Amino acid sequence: MAYSNEVLHGAGGSPMVATLSGREPQEEALARYEAEFRQHYTQWMEILQRNAERLARGQFSLHWMDTSGAQWGRRAKPSSRGLTYADINRVPGYGDVPELASWLNFAPRGSVREPYRDEMPIVDDYTVLERDELWAENVLSLYEEAKARQWNATRDIPWDELTPLPEDLEKATCQLCTALTEVEFVAGDFPSKWMYRIPQDFLEVKSFLSTQIMDEARHQEVFRKRAIAGGGLLHASPGAEWALKAILCAPTHTMGTFLLNLLAEGLVLSVFRSGEMIAKTHVDKEIFRRCLQDEARHVSYGVLEFQWWLDHQPDRERALETLHRFADVGEQVILSAFTEPTLVEPIAILLGGGLAKIDAGMEGMMRVWSMFIDEYLQRCERAGFDRRSRCILPAEAPWRMAA
Amino acid sequence: MSSVEAHPETVGQGELRRTARFPSVRWFELLGDLMNRQRSRFEHLGYVDCVAEFCVTDVVPEPFVVQVVFEEFGVAEVRKPMAGERERADFRVEGRLVTWREMIESIVRNGGRPDLSQTLNYLTHMGTPMRVIGSDPIRRDLYFRYAQSLQEFFNNAASIDTQFEE
Repeated sequence: MAYSNEVLHGAGGSPMVATLSGREPQEEALARYEAEFRQHYTQWMEILQRNAERLARGQFSLHWMDTSGAQWGRRAKPSSRGLTYADINRVPGYGDVPELASWLNFAPRGSVREPYRDEMPIVDDYTVLERDELWAENVLSLYEEAKARQWNATRDIPWDELTPLPEDLEKATCQLCTALTEVEFVAGDFPSKWMYRIPQDFLEVKSFLSTQIMDEARHQEVFRKRAIAGGGLLHASPGAEWALKAILCAPTHTMGTFLLNLLAEGLVLSVFRSGEMIAKTHVDKEIFRRCLQDEARHVSYGVLEFQWWLDHQPDRERALETLHRFADVGEQVILSAFTEPTLVEPIAILLGGGLAKIDAGMEGMMRVWSMFIDEYLQRCERAGFDRRSRCILPAEAPWRMAA
Repeated sequence: MSSVEAHPETVGQGELRRTARFPSVRWFELLGDLMNRQRSRFEHLGYVDCVAEFCVTDVVPEPFVVQVVFEEFGVAEVRKPMAGERERADFRVEGRLVTWREMIESIVRNGGRPDLSQTLNYLTHMGTPMRVIGSDPIRRDLYFRYAQSLQEFFNNAASIDTQFEE
């Protein structure tokens, strides 16, 4: 029995009509979409026809109740803090993360999927197929920690305690928040860019990246709110824009994670710690303290993802040299953000305690810079990447006090 | 070594006053006790899984050192580390007695929230007057990952009658 076009395609005559971002799709994009699915028409139509006919006969398949090939009956047991990914991955058959993903569709790892391989579509966007480009030994625990330590920028900050600061301090605070809002966008966009390229065999990494995206959304939210509640957003930062673009355009996930999570977020972590220290209100204290926790989590993933990648390269020396080449560019571009007056000067004013004390603030900035460089090199070393002899970032702050 | 369990005292009106000398294991046990009774408050902040070592550097005859084992949303154990157990700590926060005292007095004076210049991060960020030490950056960074919880752990000092070493 064949179904009519209306039954199979709906009253509109075609299931292909879709909208892109809620707008009328461009004719060209729609044509490509139609061609894509028409090309595979016989494959999915065969499945649809088969199922529709069975339903029309009033019959059931119930093949999914056959547990041969499944891990059926090996029940996961919760640990003290609930049922975690680590708990379910201990059940045989579910926690084996393949070195190379071969399922480029949505079929869950550990399900009965082999019999259906030939009937399933290939999702061309899944391009990050190597576990070692993504994995970190702490990714499961970081995911649990990230979920447990979420906070709400609307509710958890004592906004009603915010009182106006002297103009120079208020402008410095709002400018710092403007710059951080700008920076936080890329920290969400980078994992977003890669997340949809990761097949679901690496579901734990996808899950963690989704928390990072949420964290960064909250950071840009809280800094935007702080600026607008305190006077307004001030100036954008062209130097920062180049650094952010360098992160977003990193050629591989590991390289980008090194640049974003290990280097840039390590630097931003220092800025947040400074922000907490120089905060002139309890509102700002709370904002920076909450944010620095999230940032430290991202840094931790960056260090151990990088370490995993290095430890699993067949030619470690070549891998190290490749990363040195990348870092040679990355460090230099990152410096363009952290020399921007829109970022450096507000911190110096807040550190010093006012515009008149900006020089004293710059002395504090120089100490923060030295601490940051030391921490960055320690984290590289922890990952197995000795960057001390090749680091392009200056050990001393890249500015001098006016005579 | 002693585990930290909730005692029958309650926080709030009619509570039994907690008195302890600072620095002492007992003082940190009281903080652990208070944290364990405030599960919903600390659950809202999220997991804390680390071994934190706190050190008062200038008391005699030797520096005071205590390790606090944080697990999930509370404190599982408070102990003075034996020789060879220092590596158990993920990080150490250390400072002179006068610095600890000013921080605690600020927390008490403000009813559980320190002055802007007396938060843990303020005091440790520049490496003076307090500092955070850890040989493994991943483990040391736990201090930052749990910054809010650690601050609120110390904020409970407002509920302790603290007597300081002279």
